Amino acid sequence: MFVARSIAADHKDLIHDVSYDFHGRRMATCSSDQSVKVWDKSDNGEWHCTASWKTHSGSVWRVTWAHPEFGQVLASCSFDRTAAVWEEIVGESNDKQRGLSHWIKRTTLVDSRTSVTDVKFAPKHMGLVLATCSADGVVRIYEAPDVMNLSQWSLQHEISCKLSCSCISWNPSSSRAHPPMIAVGSDDNNVTYSGKVQIYEYNENTRKYAKAETLMTVTDPVHDIAFAPNLGRSFHVLAIATKDVRIFKLIPLRRENATSSGPTKFEVQVMAQFDSHNSQVWRVSWNITSTLLASSGDDGCVRLWKANYMDNWKCTGILRGDGSPVNGSSGQGTALSAVGSAGAQSQNSVVGAASAGRYFFPHLDPPRAGSRLALLLPPPSLIEPTCETDHTHAHQPPQIRRRYTPALPTQPAEHD
Amino acid sequence: MEKMACVSTVSSRTMFCHLDAPANAISVCRDATQVVVAGRNIFKIYAMEEDGFVERLNLRVGRKPSLNFSCADVMWHQMEENLLATAATNGAVVTWNLARPCRNKQEHLFTEHKRTVNKVCFHPTEVHMLLSGSQDGFMKCFDLRKKESVSTFSGQSESVRDVQFSMKDYFTFAASFENGNVQLWDIRRPDRYERMFTAHTGPVFCCDWHPEDRGWLATGGRDKMVKVWDMTTNRAKEIYCVQTIASVARVKWRPERRWHLATCSMMVDHNIYVWDVRRPFIPFATFEEHKDVTTGIVWSHQHDPYVLLSGSKDSTLYQHIFKDASRPVDRANPEGLCFGLFGDLAFAAKESLMTGEAGRKPYPAGDRRYPIFFFKKPDVTEQFAQVASALSVFESEADGSSRMDWFIKTARRYLLSGKPFAELCDHNAKVAKELNRPQVSTTWTMLRIMFSDPGNPALPANHNMSKLGNIPLMNSFNLKEMSSALNERNKENRQDNLHNLETNLNNDENEETEGSDGQAEYLFGDAELDDDDLYSMEHENQAEEAEFSLPQEAFPLRHEIVDHPSAPEPPAEKPESPQVSGSEAESFCLTPMESISLISVSQLLYQPQLPPSFFCPVVREMLDYYAEQGDVQMAVSVLIVLGDRIRKEIDELTQEHWYMSYIDLLQRFELWNVSNEVIKLSTCSAITCLNQASTTLHINCSNCKRPMSNKGWICDRCHQCASVCAVCHHVVKGLFVWCQGCSHGGHLEHVMEWLKSSNHCPAGCGHLCEYT
Repeated sequence: MFVARSIAADHKDLIHDVSYDFHGRRMATCSSDQSVKVWDKSDNGEWHCTASWKTHSGSVWRVTWAHPEFGQVLASCSFDRTAAVWEEIVGESNDKQRGLSHWIKRTTLVDSRTSVTDVKFAPKHMGLVLATCSADGVVRIYEAPDVMNLSQWSLQHEISCKLSCSCISWNPSSSRAHPPMIAVGSDDNNVTYSGKVQIYEYNENTRKYAKAETLMTVTDPVHDIAFAPNLGRSFHVLAIATKDVRIFKLIPLRRENATSSGPTKFEVQVMAQFDSHNSQVWRVSWNITSTLLASSGDDGCVRLWKANYMDNWKCTGILRGDGSPVNGSSGQGTALSAVGSAGAQSQNSVVGAASAGRYFFPHLDPPRAGSRLALLLPPPSLIEPTCETDHTHAHQPPQIRRRYTPALPTQPAEHD
Repeated sequence: MEKMACVSTVSSRTMFCHLDAPANAISVCRDATQVVVAGRNIFKIYAMEEDGFVERLNLRVGRKPSLNFSCADVMWHQMEENLLATAATNGAVVTWNLARPCRNKQEHLFTEHKRTVNKVCFHPTEVHMLLSGSQDGFMKCFDLRKKESVSTFSGQSESVRDVQFSMKDYFTFAASFENGNVQLWDIRRPDRYERMFTAHTGPVFCCDWHPEDRGWLATGGRDKMVKVWDMTTNRAKEIYCVQTIASVARVKWRPERRWHLATCSMMVDHNIYVWDVRRPFIPFATFEEHKDVTTGIVWSHQHDPYVLLSGSKDSTLYQHIFKDASRPVDRANPEGLCFGLFGDLAFAAKESLMTGEAGRKPYPAGDRRYPIFFFKKPDVTEQFAQVASALSVFESEADGSSRMDWFIKTARRYLLSGKPFAELCDHNAKVAKELNRPQVSTTWTMLRIMFSDPGNPALPANHNMSKLGNIPLMNSFNLKEMSSALNERNKENRQDNLHNLETNLNNDENEETEGSDGQAEYLFGDAELDDDDLYSMEHENQAEEAEFSLPQEAFPLRHEIVDHPSAPEPPAEKPESPQVSGSEAESFCLTPMESISLISVSQLLYQPQLPPSFFCPVVREMLDYYAEQGDVQMAVSVLIVLGDRIRKEIDELTQEHWYMSYIDLLQRFELWNVSNEVIKLSTCSAITCLNQASTTLHINCSNCKRPMSNKGWICDRCHQCASVCAVCHHVVKGLFVWCQGCSHGGHLEHVMEWLKSSNHCPAGCGHLCEYT
């Protein structure tokens, strides 16, 4: 379960973004009041504002931390058409005594002619690289060639996305098998332009970013997009906040010949799609192991999503801003504590089994990873949807027989 | 005032027309039917009709182009609808009478200013009074019945950028200057201004009196600000300040909307913004049609808040309708959400979203602090009260499943090297077990079983083993494992074989059903749990724990299986393995060979003994599985512990990827020691070299205090060993800690001990050592 700790943010207008640093001990918020605040967690768990300063002459849409290897560095982007890079200065003892730290602007990136809607540092292994996207549909990628000099940024790439961009996300994978990749979401209102999510990949040969994939099924405005932390996976998982929450899986397909210079082809699967916010979804965020996805929507709630071992995603909790339980969803709410109450258990197990059946067959496919693994691990519920006693799956002897049915060769064959 | 009824309904659509030349200023006649556009090379009157602008009159007549036509500003008289005034760039102030019968409508020409006239302004109620402000620093008041100016006002400062008659006070006008000042003048007293204050840093380009709150003056400057001043008090008081993104060229209060004003910019920014001064950070509405700088904005009618006209350097004249405006706040994200490293969740959202029970209702109650009293009917699109966000952090409780404690503890306690393989596995299984991760624990145990040498079953009898109780489970797993492995190996006669196997297995199972009730129940209990345990995956699960402690019931199964094997080899005990009890001896039956031999009885396909490499594909898939599930810790730990046994099975890139991911995670959690150990133990060249980059130590000799060359620990100047402990005078091997001030140091524990009793250097050099 979660405990809500309310923080008096004292921003004078809407807060548009919250961002944790690499180690999870600092937090930055940005607001329409043109300021950014930095919060530090004290030993007793309280958050203290240690810096608050005016960053832009317009609403600050996003704030993001650089990897601490590059110092305590923040980037912000704003309605005023600029993005800025900030660095914390240590040593001003006067400020330190008052518990304040000093941030100075290292650079202003002024290339955009419209509102800069998102800014993100690239994964560390790429160096000190920053991507911005703007409302006129241009993604710009900057690099600081000298990581010690944060005031020099050169514009490396300009990608024209045609559609007004609202959010970007770097693929965090550090594998050499995965070239740098960036996903761009558009909040263009016109539903006739489909494909509001575009994925660009860096091509070593041409030294340019080229479009690798467009998610044509996303037709509504996209407000946020987030690659899941890639902890050694061969594929990529992308969460999208649009009128619902969607989770896509991008599986790089092996190239026919290694010399082909085109972008990687992907097999795109929709892993999940939830409309339980019943409204626009504004934000999605992954936890560090990419096992939990949080989403927030116009309903003012945060919902947590988790997959089971069969990639079947379900809501595991709903959080209101004030921590109060959400009416009518107490069952799901308590499920947050994994197996909190027996009631929640049984309720969930029914749902889980029913949907597990739906997803079951593909995983029986013998050549695929995971199918046999599921057997290696504590046993999954090997429930066939065709079984007539499917609904009374509880502790019944018929399952003894079912335990071995997966090995029946005919079943996987027809669902291959 | 008879025409004050809303006129916008007639021509309420966004429209534009191309002008021949860039416009500098525009002005509308009072009934909002015609608009005059003035510029360097244009001076025309357009009628606003339903289907577009229609050119009515071109006032640039005459053969030779006169600079008098080159307008910086234009104003249409609000009472006398035939009367226009222009400010020319050559310093002339010209009035035009549209009622003149000939083509040339020019009426008066005042050439009193020396430089460009920036602004002309008719008195709102006095028909014949015209005011001008010029670059030369003077303002002049003209009576249109006379041939020259009535009075001249000297600002005593730089150029005049704007002059505006007050709506409230018959005699008062405001003037704004390039040096940032605003002056108030009484038209009867040309000798001295009534009041002056500095409104902006840098030029004040424009000012506008509020049409209703008549003491309010809005000013806009190059400092990108719009300020609203309350002029009714003794000192002008700044009551609102709007920060825009570019220098403000024009500011116009919106009719009928007390808090709204429109601005356009002098450079860079081509948009027109309408601001609510109470929410000064984000524009209420934006008109984005112009392609170049907007030079003139004017509300079409003094009682119509929905139609705005604008002229631009891009040679277009636009009529903007409010319903077509873009609303930046609608696209603005009202929420922020971020997952922290430790599973806590920071969430900021608009307060109305958080508090409203049905948050989906837009603006549940508005903001009562600022009643918008002049709305006839509540119009959602016009509500723009000040809002704030609430920020909260959801911290996962200590036992919460999303908390990352398990990761840290596991990372700290796992043993990755330094002991025999089986012991490592057992230790790690135990760690996982204690952290309530039975799945992981089981995996470790199985790995030990699989990869311990079958010929020399190095099953060091472990006291934990019998308690683990999941051994029977594994045994049945192995059965299934085998079956699926077989499945792959016998593609050609898959059907038959597998069918055989299947029946065999089923037979086996049926035979042992009696004895294995407990096990079956256990399995399904677990399966059940797993079903709703979907969301806790590898995590603590009290109920599951309970299920897991069913070992005694499950044991009979082992005997059942043990009955089947054809020839279980009596295992040779390792001398050092302290096998004590019979139940532990039984665990031999759980070596893979048993279950394999069980199959081979029915299949006769395999040798009774399988090499560990037989399991490699399975283990590889298992590692892949763990990595996919986000538990790269497990993948890497197994990879390291298994070492050469598995390494060749997994391609280098994947290994490297796992290592990188795990190291990154460890560093996030500031587990530097573990991270270093992993780096050291890794076999990927790309990983091990991580440890060998970019660390330089500069060392002073503790004896002669000079920098040492980087070869060894012998100082080449005084030929003394520099790494002698100052406390015990022995050479330090291992951790050497030294004071950076005096270069003396020694064993970590010795120095720590020393510092408890004294702050001075143990070497006796008198230095007050600091160890950080």
